[in-house]
Order: sequence, then C-alpha cells, then structure tokens
Amino acid sequence: MDLKNAIVRARRGLREERRLYVVAVTSLAVAFICLGATLLGVTNLDAAATRWGQSGRITVFLKDGADAQDVAQLRVVLEGLADVEAVTHVTPSQARNSFLEEADVGADLSALPSDVFPASLEVTLVNGVTRERGESIASRLAQFRAVSDVESYGAWFQKLDQLLWGARMLALGLALLVMFCVVAVIGNTIRLAVARRRQEIEVMKLCGATNGFVRGPFVLEGMFQGFASALVAVLALLVGYLALHESVDSTLAALTGSRVVFLGAWTLVALLVGGALIGAIGSAVSVRRYLSV
Amino acid sequence: MQETKVVRPFPFFRAGARASQPQLSKPILVLEDVYKFFRPDQPTLRGVDLKVERGEFAFITGPSGAGKSTLLKLVYRELTVDEGRVLFCGRDICRLTDKSIPFLRRNLGVVFQDFRIIDHWTVFENVAVALEIVSMPKRLIRSRVAEALERVGLAGRGPELITNLSGGEQQRVAVARAIVPEPALILADEPTGNLDPHLAIDILTLFEEINSTGTTVLFATHDHSLISKRDHRLISIDEGRVLESQQGLKHWPGSGIHTMAG
Repeated sequence: MDLKNAIVRARRGLREERRLYVVAVTSLAVAFICLGATLLGVTNLDAAATRWGQSGRITVFLKDGADAQDVAQLRVVLEGLADVEAVTHVTPSQARNSFLEEADVGADLSALPSDVFPASLEVTLVNGVTRERGESIASRLAQFRAVSDVESYGAWFQKLDQLLWGARMLALGLALLVMFCVVAVIGNTIRLAVARRRQEIEVMKLCGATNGFVRGPFVLEGMFQGFASALVAVLALLVGYLALHESVDSTLAALTGSRVVFLGAWTLVALLVGGALIGAIGSAVSVRRYLSV
Repeated sequence: MQETKVVRPFPFFRAGARASQPQLSKPILVLEDVYKFFRPDQPTLRGVDLKVERGEFAFITGPSGAGKSTLLKLVYRELTVDEGRVLFCGRDICRLTDKSIPFLRRNLGVVFQDFRIIDHWTVFENVAVALEIVSMPKRLIRSRVAEALERVGLAGRGPELITNLSGGEQQRVAVARAIVPEPALILADEPTGNLDPHLAIDILTLFEEINSTGTTVLFATHDHSLISKRDHRLISIDEGRVLESQQGLKHWPGSGIHTMAG
C-alpha cells in the first residue's frame, strides 16, 4: 500500500464527508468521556488507597490493669522497630474525650465513664510501609502480655480493596462498551462513506487497484475518527479537571488526606492509541464486504 | 477426486512486469469453448470460440441480452467462466487468484456506456486514478495524463469538474482513463450508447485512432448505423453463440447482420 497516496485520499475523504465524521466523532467523544471519567475515578481511588495504605496506623489496646512495666517494655520494643515512626500512649480519659469530640453525639454519651474506654498505644508507621508488613507487626504485638487486642485496620482496607475492585470492573465494563460503540459507530460511518463512494471503489477496482489500495484511506479515516474522539474526550476531561480540581482538592484533602490527580501518561496514551486502533479495526471490517467488485 | 491446482500470479500480471517475446507473438485474446450460465437451463454464452489478434479492432454486436457485456466481463474477470478457457496473452485468466486480478486489469482499459467517472472529481483526477494505483510518481502522472487528455481532445481541461462537461466529453474522459496506463487491450462496452449519432462517430473515431497506435480494441455495440460505417471485423453474438465476419457488415454473408439480429 502506498501510504502517502492513502493519506492524500483519506484527507480528501475526510474533507468530502466532514459533516458525517463530525457527528461520529462527537458521539464517540461522549463515550470516551464516560470511560475517561470512570478511569479518573479509579485513578483517584487507587491513589487514595495507596496513600492510606502507606501511611499505616496500628492501635494496640491494653488490658485493664496492665502492668506499667509491661507497657513500658512494649513501648521500648515498638520504638526500636525501624518501621515505627511514633508511639503515643492514650489513657482511658483521653480516649473518652477524643471519642466525644469526633463522634459528635451530644450529651447522650457524655455521661459515659472513662473506664469504658481501654487505654491504648497509637502506633504510627513510617511512610511507605506496606499493608502486609503492618499486619505482620500487628500479629506479633498481639502476643505481648499487656495487650488485649490489636487493630491494624485490615478489614477497612479489605473493604476499600473491594470498592476499588468494583470500580475497576466498572471501568473494564465501560471500556468494553466503549470499544463496541467505537467499532459500531465508526463501522457504520465508514459503511455510509463507502456507500457514497461506491462508484469510486468500483472505478479503482476496474483500473486494477488492489484491496489494500482501496481499503487504505478508509482505515486511515477510521483511525483518525477514533483518535480524534479520544483526544476530544481527554481535552474535555482536562478542562473539567483544571476547572474543578482546586475546589474539590480542599474538600478531598480534608476528608481523605489525598489530592485529586489526573489520568496518568500511560492511561492517556492507551486511550488515544486504543481509540485509533479500534477505529482502524472498525473501518477495516466494514469496508471488507465492499471490496468484491 | 481432481486435485485443485494453486495458480500463482502470472509474472506478466505483476506490477512492472513485461510480456516475453513468445507471449507477444500469441493472439492477445482467445476464448475456447466458453460457457457462462446465469440459469442452469439457459446459458448466456454457449461454446464461444474466439481469437483476437494483437492490434486488431473488432466490433462485438448482437441484440440486448445476447451476451456482449458478459463476454467482456469474462475478460476483465468481473465474471468467471463456467466452462472453457479465456486466454489473455496466452495465459488462462480463469485460473487467476483473486490477488492477481488487479494485475490483469492493469493490462486492460475498460470503457462503459454509463462512463463510470466520478462526478465530484476533476478531469485530471478521474484520469490520474489509473496511474495512482500503480504508485507512479506525481510528475510522471501529470505528463501522462496531459498526454492522454490531448489524445482524446481535452487538452488543458484537467482542472475542470466533470459536472461542467458534456456527455461526449465525459466519455472522452473515460477513454483517457482507459488509455493512460497504455494497456494492451481496450474493452469498450457500448461506449456510444448514451451519445447522439454525431458524438458516437467521434468516439468511434477516437477508438480507431487509439487502435492505430497498436492497441487492440474490442468495441461492443448494438448500433448498426455505427457498424455499417466501418469495415472492421465483426463478431456477432446471438443467443450465446458467436458468428463472425472478418470485414464488417458489408461483407456479412447473406443479407447482413440486420436479418440475423432481427
């Protein structure tokens, strides 16, 4: 296939059928925006999970009446660990005050006595310590005599993982749906273009054009449509991100401690290249049946 | 069970390949006992035997539905024979693979009654397409198209849109497209069917001029007034059979083609 010639003819095709292609690119851009928005959600959820996972905390609940020497020994052990950044001793009264402040339950629970709340050691892990390492430290701490229970927040992270898995599945489903939409829309657009240029194809075939020569410009047109749609969607998402991220950032930072991030470079490349590739496949498939002249 | 033979593209039908001397000495087109059926009980062509020599000009005539177009379609492989052989330059084109058909067509020029030119393209683009498919350099395309347009009497009309041309001029564009790759054989399927008698004679004269440069021309028409004006070889098809005269209507045995074709 003569690529230069195919590009020239594809440009002519795009010029002649521009209205048809504008409609197709617009519809496909909407589909790509849905996919991109879901990917953006997954990316941010993933970033938050990673941040939380890496800024790990362990709460070591102490037995009622635990020996002060045992507690001191436990502290020494914890502070000696390279993975531990800080250890804070929380007394029952401090725990009660903290609970009443954070829970915002009013006067109903203010009468609770301090001894309802166990004393604890709040262990802050060094940034970057994996969740598995945190679990391992927690299981070892549970064996100390002064410890009644250890909370490593594993269940909470498990729920977050499930949420992330669900979001990823949603993104995957959407990606498949968008892929189907792109193939269908580009396929039909090219089919319309082929029908309108049927005489051209017939003439070319009668002059001795190979199937590759006839197919080339249509494949390039489909590729361009897919790429343009993905590009429009990425730009729309970027504009939305730039417009909203400052206001969302402060809320999110207050709630989760993380900031909004945009799609990664590889995700952007995958969207654009994927769009072009699916467009090319869609048009190649739909033009195939018109080549038997 | 008969073994299916896989036929590779003939070198002659590959881009850039030239016919060898033995191939050049053979008749350009030979049909041997060709049958074509569209309905099992009624063949459109029945046992057609035909030989066309290099550089010949031949009319193919016969009533509508006699099989003129079918015969031409078999030559440019839009259709395939059901029985018999079609030899182009000594090669059996019925056995060509689908991939080789474009290379066969590059050795042929085909002109139709309905012109088959692209309305929204310019004259130049319509003619140049026959050279673009062989990836010819742009400069060469420009000179070859200009030359072809001059031969058909449309010199300097390249930038004009097809819609600005008359019917006769449009057919000239189609002829220019057919001759621009310098094919060995031109197949004209009722090329004057949509033109008035004056223009028809003009187009016929144009084909004769092309023939005078050595290109073989098969000119299918049912217009007896056109055939009667020339003494070319006449190949008449009626009910799928071929009857021939080597020297035109005047020399047709008996009372001529009029009685035979009704």
